[in-house]
Amino acid sequence: MLVPVLALGGLGVFAVMGVVGAFVITGWLGQPIPVLGFEQTFDQPIDFPHTVHASLKQLDHVAADGQTMEGLGLDCTFCHRTVTTQANAGVPPVAFCATCHGVIGAEDNAELTILRDAADIIGDDGPSPVNWRRVHRLPDHVRFVHEPHIRYLTANPSEVKNSTDGVTEGPSGVCSTCHGNVAAMQQVEQVESLKMGQCVDCHRDNGAPTDCAACHY
Amino acid sequence: MTTAEFGTHNWGMVVDVDKCIGCNACVIACQAENNIPINTQDRVERARSISWIRVERYWEGDFPDAKARFIPIMCQHCENAPCEPVCPVYATYHNSEGLNVQVYNRCVGTRYCANGCPYIVRFFNYWEPVWPESLRNHLNPDVTVRSRGIMEKCSFCVHRIRRESRNARSAGVEIADGAVQTACSSACPTSALNFGNFNDPDSKVSKMKDDKRHYTLLDQFGTDPNVIYLAKIDADKKISAGEAATHG
Ligand code: HEC
Ligand code: HEC
Ligand code: HEC
Ligand code: HEC
Ligand code: HEC
Repeated sequence: MLVPVLALGGLGVFAVMGVVGAFVITGWLGQPIPVLGFEQTFDQPIDFPHTVHASLKQLDHVAADGQTMEGLGLDCTFCHRTVTTQANAGVPPVAFCATCHGVIGAEDNAELTILRDAADIIGDDGPSPVNWRRVHRLPDHVRFVHEPHIRYLTANPSEVKNSTDGVTEGPSGVCSTCHGNVAAMQQVEQVESLKMGQCVDCHRDNGAPTDCAACHY
Repeated sequence: MTTAEFGTHNWGMVVDVDKCIGCNACVIACQAENNIPINTQDRVERARSISWIRVERYWEGDFPDAKARFIPIMCQHCENAPCEPVCPVYATYHNSEGLNVQVYNRCVGTRYCANGCPYIVRFFNYWEPVWPESLRNHLNPDVTVRSRGIMEKCSFCVHRIRRESRNARSAGVEIADGAVQTACSSACPTSALNFGNFNDPDSKVSKMKDDKRHYTLLDQFGTDPNVIYLAKIDADKKISAGEAATHG
């Protein structure tokens, strides 16, 4: 009687240790296994599909006219306007989305209703910003700046990694190096580890600074 | 990367003590720029206040012939820094641009470096920094907020250096002389504080540093600072260059 209980208990302990170990090791190497709030993607206040806006491919998306549609193939920089000049890529304000969605999209679409309400096209509570949740976020002690990366990668397309379903020319073609194929994502998720090792490896290969003071201050 | 390449500069400061009027604008500018916690009376009394730059005041002579003397003191960014070799985790080191760098996330808070520093310009965070609610949005996003248990000190406003160097590279030019200004040097109303590149023989600081009034603080320790002081000129006294080295 005692032996099977102990054996089961021992197995249980091993199983728990295995899960904890896997969590720690995956977290050390890249992103921890997505449990307990460590998911790399979240539900956003508006379920914004990059596929519809940024992809150039035929999609499953059923548009307001009842037909499936091709992605619009917008440039990433069309919405993430400051990515080529500043540290932050920036997410567009609702007024910007409203330039299209004031008229585009079904009137009874739940997601677009939230958007139109926020942009004050419908409702009468005035415009309010959408509180998008950050998906990619480095710790506070790291300075990341988009501008030099976009400039360098645009000039050196051989360093660009991963493919994209979206625009491949110009700055929009290089985002996949660190963000993966966002144009094919219904919901943005972090696919690269973006740990110090990845940053420094690329910096070393491309003659970029590896001095601590380049990233930590 | 042909222009404004990393490591081609040697940043430094020339402090003309003769021009310093002791106004403390540099201290305030630094405090605001670098997210330095507010030094409450309690902290000052316990000698745990943080001030990356300070203006020391001396009285010379007796009343009524007393004269006030001021000297701003910040991290001297020594080429031969006593703080660096004592760090057990290499959180502080000298980089190729002449800066004495403090890597906050690497720091484990042994405080050896502060004990090694003869200029007393390293400060330890004894508490988690707090700001009143009204100042929350005044923090500089380019500067890490140091948490409790971390050593900090003047960084020569490294975030401004990095920004100007990025801008220069993006424009394909060299960093112009005077383009990088630290918070203290840009706040100084009398240009007592001057920041620039010692590697460029034509820069303002390179020309100033050979002035015959020049000296470095605590020269006898051989720390070889990147901050050069120019001695005060006294109308009553004639000082020679040799003497200037021993006076403050
Ligand atoms: C260039 C014009 C344009 C801009 C700008 C634009 N969209 Fe769209 N969006 C479209 C089109 C076209 C569709 C597909 C419409 C359809 O389904 O009929 C769409 C679809 C959508 C959908 C999916 C609707 C559904 O059927 O489920 C959402 C949500 C959405 N957009 C949100 C946004 C947000 C948020 C922004 C601002 C960041 C934005 N859009 C900016 C053109 C635009
Ligand atoms: C129609 C405007 C629009 C276009 C075009 C667009 N985006 Fe976005 N992007 C958004 C909005 C709005 C969000 C915030 C919502 C979210 O995270 O899904 C966002 C979020 C992101 C994020 C996550 C940000 C975070 O929080 O970490 C990344 C990465 C991103 N976009 C990359 C791209 C890339 C790469 C492209 C081009 C293939 C692109 N975007 C094209 C509007 C756009
Ligand atoms: C060298 C890697 C790299 C490349 C290339 C890159 N990003 Fe990023 N991106 C990051 C990192 C790292 C973060 C997180 C930054 C942080 O937390 O400070 C980020 C954050 C973002 C964010 C959310 C935060 C913000 O800055 O607004 C958006 C949106 C974004 N990237 C869009 C893009 C777009 C669009 C492109 C292509 C034009 C691009 N990125 C190219 C690494 C990269
Ligand atoms: C695909 C390769 C690549 C990756 C990945 C990458 N970088 Fe870079 N980074 C570069 C290059 C190349 C430069 C220099 C660009 C130039 O010529 O100005 C650079 C420049 C920088 C700079 C500006 C340095 C300066 O002079 O001030 C910072 C900061 C930086 N990277 C941080 C990061 C961080 C943090 C990460 C990781 C999240 C990262 N980088 C990942 C290639 C990369
Ligand atoms: C190219 C940019 C880059 C350079 C150069 C760099 N780091 Fe990092 N470092 C990072 C990033 C990004 C992270 C955050 C990784 C993560 O998300 O865990 C990091 C994290 C760290 C951490 C971990 C902090 C923690 O709390 O987990 C330490 C310690 C560290 N860096 C020290 C250094 C030292 C020392 C140097 C100089 C030898 C250096 N770094 C140079 C980008 C850089």
